[in-house]
Amino acid sequence: MSAPQEAVCRSIAADGALLTITATRRPRAGRADVKCSVPGDAALAERMQQVVRLARHTEARFDSRDQVLLSLDRAPPGDWRDWELAAVLADRMVRGVLVARAGLTANGWSDAWHLGHIDGRALANVPAGVLAGGAGGLPHLGALNGQPDPAAAVSSARAWFPMHSGGAGDSLGWVEVSVRPAAGQDEDAVTAPGFDPVRQAAIAATLTAARHFDGRGQSQWRTTVRFGEPRFQGESYQFALVMADRIARGREFLARGRVIASGSSSAWHAGKVEAVEALEAKCALIAREAAPGDRVLLPKEWETGLPPGLRETLRARGASLACVERIGII
Amino acid sequence: MFGSLLKNCLQFSLHRSLSPRQSESADGRLGVSALALQAPAGASVPGACAAVLVDANGRSRRLAAGGRIALHEGEIAWCVHPGPYSCELAPFAAAPEIGLRVNFAIDASDPRATYQRFDLFLASEGGAAVELDGFTAAMENTLQRELAQGNLDLPPCTTLEEWNVFRAGFNQLMYTRFGVIVDDCVPVDLGAARDYAQLLETRMTQQPLAPQQRDSAAPLGAQQVFVPACEDARALRRLFLELPCLMCAIRLAALPQEQEQFRQQQELMRRLDLVSLAVGTMPALELRAPNQPLAHEEQLRRARHSRRAASALDEAWAMLARLKTGGDAVLGVSFDEADRIVANLEYETAGRRSVAVPEEEVAA
Repeated sequence: MSAPQEAVCRSIAADGALLTITATRRPRAGRADVKCSVPGDAALAERMQQVVRLARHTEARFDSRDQVLLSLDRAPPGDWRDWELAAVLADRMVRGVLVARAGLTANGWSDAWHLGHIDGRALANVPAGVLAGGAGGLPHLGALNGQPDPAAAVSSARAWFPMHSGGAGDSLGWVEVSVRPAAGQDEDAVTAPGFDPVRQAAIAATLTAARHFDGRGQSQWRTTVRFGEPRFQGESYQFALVMADRIARGREFLARGRVIASGSSSAWHAGKVEAVEALEAKCALIAREAAPGDRVLLPKEWETGLPPGLRETLRARGASLACVERIGII
Repeated sequence: MFGSLLKNCLQFSLHRSLSPRQSESADGRLGVSALALQAPAGASVPGACAAVLVDANGRSRRLAAGGRIALHEGEIAWCVHPGPYSCELAPFAAAPEIGLRVNFAIDASDPRATYQRFDLFLASEGGAAVELDGFTAAMENTLQRELAQGNLDLPPCTTLEEWNVFRAGFNQLMYTRFGVIVDDCVPVDLGAARDYAQLLETRMTQQPLAPQQRDSAAPLGAQQVFVPACEDARALRRLFLELPCLMCAIRLAALPQEQEQFRQQQELMRRLDLVSLAVGTMPALELRAPNQPLAHEEQLRRARHSRRAASALDEAWAMLARLKTGGDAVLGVSFDEADRIVANLEYETAGRRSVAVPEEEVAA
């Protein structure tokens, strides 16, 4: 995995202007692992170093060879802490731990970085495209890859699916399933706020059928489903929804990156995955968007029609592809 | 007391009713809930077991069943039951309802090997007894770390080919790290035994909703107590005994193809040699200079460095396993990884040696 020499992450300050955090990497040569600088505010620099060091406790790999230098372009007011998330992300990007799009803007603070929690953000109105920490946004660092928080009492997981609208507007959308235990109720309560009753019923039916196939999870959970982009058509989100549900309920192996799935089914109760439309456009989108560690899941019926070289492209990026006929253990 | 004895005996007879010599074994735990137990000098080795005798430098020899344990100066003896054993591992902490059922056995002595991995495990980590529970936890840790680092892959909807690759890597990892042979490993649904909904409910009752109280209310039982002296001694013992064997094994596993690789490997070996030397001459944890005590916080810092050095050692064993399965294909990739691991070992042993955080680390 090749890491960049420099990474930039921005954050919105209290006055609405942008703060820029620049991270660079150099050989450590006996110096501190993280060095921070903020113009005219040594105490804040020290706080930033502490934040970054704490957040590194949630990483699996330790490398003592590099020093990361983080600099904030100007000092925010003393009690403004929303830059913390941007500092943590910049530190990950420059070491190749996180691969993010250029021009990322993030706001969030936490008192428990060592657990990967993000407690909230001070910014009141979050503009579109800004990564916001805390409830309703990014509740912990693992959620960047859709993984459930191993310490939270509510388990939520995300999976991504390609949204095809005929060209330039194509993008990956996410679906998030949150489950909390609800023993002793008659049937599964599935809510998907913000959707019309027809789609709500479709989502609930999909989950109920897939859990029936699973043999567990009936009448056990209170479930909330959210979508990153609520305006979409078609049924191809179903596979991603089912995978997010299985991951949230702790019944599926995990990918290191995101799970990207496309597929629907007329028989989720039998665990079958069936083909959907727009194979080529979706595969092209996935090939563009895949990041290291991502897991791409497509219907088995697509296997023969896959664009040549897709597997190799994905493998070169560190992602993996499987064409699936049936969900569940091998 | 008698109840538990009776239960042990019952378990024992249920599991091993086939072999009559089993009843000679003084302790019913061997082969059932324990892999190895320390044995006193003069005891005889029970049937189906073997004795492993380890001297102070980690050199080991084995005695077959029926023999009498006669110890030389400084030797410790364990009785080892080869198994088979069965355990359940959760490959991902965040997915408690899906797991692997693993059957494994302890390797018989291999005359070709320069060291026996399980004997080395006993010498460096054995203690008074190797319980199956503790051993399982160690296996699970090793597996989880390899998966988290991306050295093994067990993704959602694993295909058969991916599973086979995983199995090959997993078998080699367990053999290289612990000296056990994995006979069988299948994915299982652990939902009945580890109900995630119940687990979350317990978490919900234990954790108050306010994030400010989160730390103080964290369950104390779940966190291991960190005793610097024990932790440090254990880690240094491991490094002292295992590094020479590891170097020897890496040299055999990765034969360089060309001059450049040869030079890289020589350089790595030289650095590992220095780490090994540094471990062998490590100053006592509680002294900053002869007869001058070291502050308690600094002792804690030193012990943390030792512990991290030991986990770098685990990564090195895992890398050796990858070298053995992957052959020449991984050789090129592995040099950067090996460089990282050796750099971490150097860094941690230097940190363990120092009496305070170096000034340039604070300032620069």
